[in-house]
Amino acid sequence: MGVTILQQFPTENRTGPDTIELLSKRIKALGAMQHGNFLVDCETYTSVPQLGHQRTVHVLHNSEQPATVFSILDTGTKTIPLATDGLFDLLMMKMSSFYTSKKQTKAESKGPRFEIGDFCVKLGTITVSSNFKGILVEVEYKPCVVPAMCWDLMKEFLQGFLGFSVPSTPPTYLQNRMQELYTPIDTIHQYLEQFMIYRKSPGIGVRT
Amino acid sequence: MPYSVNISVEAPIENQIHEITYDGTEIYQPPLSLSESLSKYAQKIDFSKTSEVEVKKEFSETTEDNKLEADSKETFQSNLWPWDTVRNKLRSALQEVCVLADVLAIAKDKRYMVLDPVQQEPLETKSMAQIYARKKALSGAANVLLTGAERLKTSQTEAARNRTVPDFHIELLRLRQNWRLKKVSNTIIGDLSYRTAGSKYIQTGTFEVSKTEEDEKPATPPSSPSPLSTGPVVPKTNTALKVSIPSELKGVAYIEVLCRKDQDDLCSANINLLGNGHTTTHPDMHWQQKLEAAQNVLFCKELFNQLAKEAVQLQAPIPHMVVGNQIMATVLPGIQLIIGLRHSTNVEKKPANSGKTEHDHVLEHSLHQLLREVHHKNTHHPFPHPATGPLGPSKKRMCAGPMAADRYELLEMTKTETLLEQIIKQAQHFFMRMRTEYVLDTIAKEVKDPLISSHWNTLNSPTQSCVKINISTHGYDALCRTPLVIHVGEKTLKCICRDGKVMYMSYEPQELRDLVFCHINQHQILAVQALAKTMGWQSLANSNHLGTGAVEPLGNASSCLLASPTGDRIIAVRCEPQSGVQVSVAHSPRTDFFPSRLVTERKWEHLGGQFRDVRLEKMEGRNFLHKMELLMASLTSNS
Repeated sequence: MGVTILQQFPTENRTGPDTIELLSKRIKALGAMQHGNFLVDCETYTSVPQLGHQRTVHVLHNSEQPATVFSILDTGTKTIPLATDGLFDLLMMKMSSFYTSKKQTKAESKGPRFEIGDFCVKLGTITVSSNFKGILVEVEYKPCVVPAMCWDLMKEFLQGFLGFSVPSTPPTYLQNRMQELYTPIDTIHQYLEQFMIYRKSPGIGVRT
Repeated sequence: MPYSVNISVEAPIENQIHEITYDGTEIYQPPLSLSESLSKYAQKIDFSKTSEVEVKKEFSETTEDNKLEADSKETFQSNLWPWDTVRNKLRSALQEVCVLADVLAIAKDKRYMVLDPVQQEPLETKSMAQIYARKKALSGAANVLLTGAERLKTSQTEAARNRTVPDFHIELLRLRQNWRLKKVSNTIIGDLSYRTAGSKYIQTGTFEVSKTEEDEKPATPPSSPSPLSTGPVVPKTNTALKVSIPSELKGVAYIEVLCRKDQDDLCSANINLLGNGHTTTHPDMHWQQKLEAAQNVLFCKELFNQLAKEAVQLQAPIPHMVVGNQIMATVLPGIQLIIGLRHSTNVEKKPANSGKTEHDHVLEHSLHQLLREVHHKNTHHPFPHPATGPLGPSKKRMCAGPMAADRYELLEMTKTETLLEQIIKQAQHFFMRMRTEYVLDTIAKEVKDPLISSHWNTLNSPTQSCVKINISTHGYDALCRTPLVIHVGEKTLKCICRDGKVMYMSYEPQELRDLVFCHINQHQILAVQALAKTMGWQSLANSNHLGTGAVEPLGNASSCLLASPTGDRIIAVRCEPQSGVQVSVAHSPRTDFFPSRLVTERKWEHLGGQFRDVRLEKMEGRNFLHKMELLMASLTSNS
């Protein structure tokens, strides 16, 4: 598990599959090999009014950690991340009378997964309740666990195949944590951040 | 029909019909009241059979009265009368009792009346019947006495026999302490399988326990001396207990492990839980040894069965072969591991090769241990962490969720090693260790000048060990020492060099040999430089990988250049793995100077002169460093 950077890629009037294909071609030209697919999904539960102050629980799954269910509890003042066993999903089902989910907010990112040397590249198509929203590129640099030490290298790699849409500063979530050890929950935080942005944005187009 | 018929539903007749009128309607008697029915039942009381006639008479009287009263419909009167009979009877009873009391009072006084016994008529006795009855009773009593006597006799003989022969029940108790027994109808069945210890082998290990027969006893003692002479058999003991084990578990079994290199045996291990195959299947063996032998056979069979199953299933680059009672697996190129099951049932034939092949206790122990470990795992499951959680996954797997283990880690967790894989790995390590030992020993023998000492770590695992090599020169240990650490794995060697470099080598021993030789050269050069420093000489240059000179078959030559304290003498040392050490000396201002046309002045001689080779073998000194020390000393003092 190394440092992961999540990066939006503008679609610029292309359809989702076209964009994925374009990026796949580019990454394959660099010598990457496809190693299966990946899926990150997020479901949001909100507490019922009887519980008082409203809280939100985001439950996320990452195919990279198949045995784990990540959840982020948002109380409004602070966020509490939690990595748990697969049984957490069943627990949430039991708590359906306290925490209800809105089906139309289910967001997921899925697509092909490539490996190129020490990097792992995932090209994700974002859908929010099965509406196409955009393209999210995840790049993981496996040998390093401190973001500050590899950000420049990763930026260069990202710019190498995404062009200059890559900002020169790291993602906002990571900016305060550049010197800390990177953990899988940090990836989840980045995904949640992106999903929240996409949920608010109007649909780019119907998924074709 | 237009008319409907009236159907009357009535209760069954409970009351007596009093009258039937002409039109057919029945007039019932009114039901008896409680007092009436009581008096009716009181009438039926029969106070005494003796006054039967009286009762009959009275009864008829009362019925007569009843009839009369019924006619006159004086129901109240008829109710009164029945109590009269009861009263009469009670009165007569009282009279009788009073008379009897009076008679008794008179008789008690013995003045007016004496009670004499009345002579009864003698009973007629049937003599024959009485005789028969007595005879029967006596014979019954005699039978009881006889069976009692019989029992006493048998117990007496039993007790007499038990003075020499141990008690069956005591023996059974001892057996019960170590073996599982159960009673099935009239037989005692035991179980010697490892099933309770976690084995999942199908074959059952049941044996039957029975009492030794009396008549067998005298036959056995004469036969005992002959087996005693043939081998180390347990001394003959009289046991009251006999165990019979199934025929497939009889005999002696052991697992033989042979390592073969191009058809010649390198080593072999005989696995036998009981030791060196000394146990023979003697019929008079003590039951404990007999059962242990049978259990050993079962264990060996299970082990071999498991290994054979794995050998067939495993996808090895060179497929494992299972032929009969033998499994062949290739450990390293050219080296085969042969695991065989030997099972002999006859007493005389002892394993002929047991003396020839040497015993490898390590392989013997590890195979034994591996199956025991499997058994242990079958019975000892990790506890589920939430008490309601699923049973089965390991502790590591349970932590995988909260610790966010990725796919690779989870995949690693699912991998399990089979017994055969593990034993092959251990065998591979055994060979790697043997080869490393051999290479190091031969180098230490070949190379005398820097001393090569190797220290093997005593603590190691079955698949990993570690050796530390020290290269030093005798007499100059404190000056320079080159340490090397070699981790011996299953198929690779990992060498950690003096400078921290890590080298990985394959199973070929030549690679290690080359590496050690390279380090010997480096050691010589480094040692010379360290020596020069203490002698006050200056190190001008050194190179571990010299690009000049003849090409070496392995590695590169290393060299160094040393200058004397005054700077007028230079020593060049060149170390080659193949041809050894060359030493050259140059005098910078030559001692004698003759001006020539090219070199006109003496100062140009400071630029350095020609190098002349030193014939080291002719020099005095114990070893290379000693020679160098003498050389440096002589060159220093000369100036």
